[in-house]
Amino acid sequence: MGDEMTSLGGIHISPNAVATIAYQATLQSYGVVGLAPKNLADGIVSTITREPSRGISVHYKDDEIHIDVHIIVEYGTRINSVAESVANTVRFHVEKALGLRVQSVNVHVAGLRISNTD
Amino acid sequence: MAIDTARVEKIRRRPVDGLAFKRLMEAGLTWLRTNQQIVNSLNVFPVPDGDTGTNMTLTLQAAWNEIKDKGTHHLGEMAAAFSKGALMGARGNSGVISSQILRGFSRGVHDRETLDLESFVRALGEARDTAYKGVVKPVEGTILTVIKETANAAEAGVGSVKDAIELLELVVRAADESVKRTPELLPILKQAGVVDSGGKGLFFFLEGMLRHVYGESLETPTVSVQPISAMDLQGALEEVEEGQDYEVVVDFVPSGELDLHGFYGKLEEMGTSIQVGEGDGMYRMHIHVPTEKRYEPIDYIMGIGTVTKVAIENLMAQMDDIQKSKASQVSFADVEPGNIAVVVVSPGAGISRIFASLGVAAVVAGGQTMNPSTQDILGSFENLPTDKVIILPNNKNIVMAANQAKEVTVKSVQVVPTRTVPQGLAAMLSFDPDGDVEAVAAKMNRAMNNVKTGEITVATRSVEIDGVIVRDGQVIALLDGKLVASADTVEHGLFELLEKAEAGEHEIVTLFFGEDMTHAEANRIADAVRKKYSNLEVEVQEGGQPHYQFILSIE
Repeated sequence: MGDEMTSLGGIHISPNAVATIAYQATLQSYGVVGLAPKNLADGIVSTITREPSRGISVHYKDDEIHIDVHIIVEYGTRINSVAESVANTVRFHVEKALGLRVQSVNVHVAGLRISNTD
Repeated sequence: MAIDTARVEKIRRRPVDGLAFKRLMEAGLTWLRTNQQIVNSLNVFPVPDGDTGTNMTLTLQAAWNEIKDKGTHHLGEMAAAFSKGALMGARGNSGVISSQILRGFSRGVHDRETLDLESFVRALGEARDTAYKGVVKPVEGTILTVIKETANAAEAGVGSVKDAIELLELVVRAADESVKRTPELLPILKQAGVVDSGGKGLFFFLEGMLRHVYGESLETPTVSVQPISAMDLQGALEEVEEGQDYEVVVDFVPSGELDLHGFYGKLEEMGTSIQVGEGDGMYRMHIHVPTEKRYEPIDYIMGIGTVTKVAIENLMAQMDDIQKSKASQVSFADVEPGNIAVVVVSPGAGISRIFASLGVAAVVAGGQTMNPSTQDILGSFENLPTDKVIILPNNKNIVMAANQAKEVTVKSVQVVPTRTVPQGLAAMLSFDPDGDVEAVAAKMNRAMNNVKTGEITVATRSVEIDGVIVRDGQVIALLDGKLVASADTVEHGLFELLEKAEAGEHEIVTLFFGEDMTHAEANRIADAVRKKYSNLEVEVQEGGQPHYQFILSIE
């Protein structure tokens, strides 16, 4: 996917472009305080990155778009609600921008950030 | 609704300890639950927070469950328990944010036995700060803005209030005003003509506490002023009563605070089916009245505000129209349990009718510029009383969505990848509802290639493809999806197309004419075709599709 044939020629949307949309959507999701490197060996979990390709990976398989999002969540929020909302938000924004269906959004909670104590 | 002043004074004299806080939380929850449908109706996104009112209510319900059997007088302990319950039960985006607001609030009062002005303000500030810590890029015009502006107002106004009740009054007022401003901050709200749902939910939660103090009812919604977008004017049409011949809808801006009880009372003297909606600083009133009273609601409203728009319609005439459109609705084949059902994607009403006459069980509206979603396709056959389904997408851009629908359902689905309407019709001709679903699909698959598909449309920009030069606005002809000719009129384009398709070698051409074309014009062009190709049988059908003046099936 990412490819669309029209009567006038082809359109190709790079995984990086999709990642940027997903990145913006993720950062607007409530409860997400940062993105984490995909590969923990790349850095410490708490390294908060502003480089979209580091926290998000997009791959096309056959005719499908799959997105993986690696997030750091605010400590004290209900993690599965936050993750669910990230998956929904990313899917919504990417599908809206591309007009194509996203097959899967996998949310990986790489860590929690404790911003203050209760 | 009168405020019970004796009750307010009694509450004013008592300290707000853990138990009093508990009653306030219960009141907030109850009032939110009473109004949750109003909050739900404010949703503008299909995602991420499906039903904000329901999610917030369930979150606060979980919080309440945590304290309902708790008897501590310590405010900090009670608030901490409530916050913990909200965290564990947080549902949806708005639920998570609500739980953070409560977490901040409880942190602000954690060491307090009772609530005083200073700790109340500090806790609201903590609620705001904690809420904002949970997100990197806060979207303004949401519940976040409402808690921020409310806490800011409390901090700014604390010097002018005497006690916690007065501060609560200030807080509820500030939240109300903040909610009303959300469309100015978030364009999508403005487009939809609604305020933010999460913010409105937070307002109801706060207002419920104040209503508890005032001794007002928490079980019945104030008077039903709903967001304008939630007004069900279509539904009202079905409740037309004898003698109420006119529907009057008035948009207006009241010159002062609108007294809803008096307003409703006055309207009830005039007619029935009264609905009042509010949004974007204005009100919309809907009423059914007898013929001789049709100007009365307008005169009355002109007296209490500025009328911006008036619509009067004769209901009896509308009812006739509805009857007519119901009569022209397509009726689909009934599916016998165990038989195969075919669902098709159709770009126009005429084409839907033709498919229905061929035994299709359901139609999904869609085509070139309006691709239906997987969900739309799924929805068309999920409730059919059979497990065997064949989908005809009839457009190359919809084949994929059809395949996805196949993947996510438990039913046994076959997609016959028809790329055009004529292919779909050709496939449908060899449909057999009793057969084996795979065998039938295979047969339909072969049949769909028995036709050539021609399409006549207008180019939206200048381009050169396959040696054909097209100028913006010119008529173009496509044969089986390939651009084969350009022309200055529909008729010329059609003739070029027939020539390229070697129509002389074929037997039947069916012309499905689009929504922009009249029956007479289509017939005139068909006659011209008959004249030129005397051996060809030419049929004309109303397709009703947008954008394409003609879709041709060439057999």
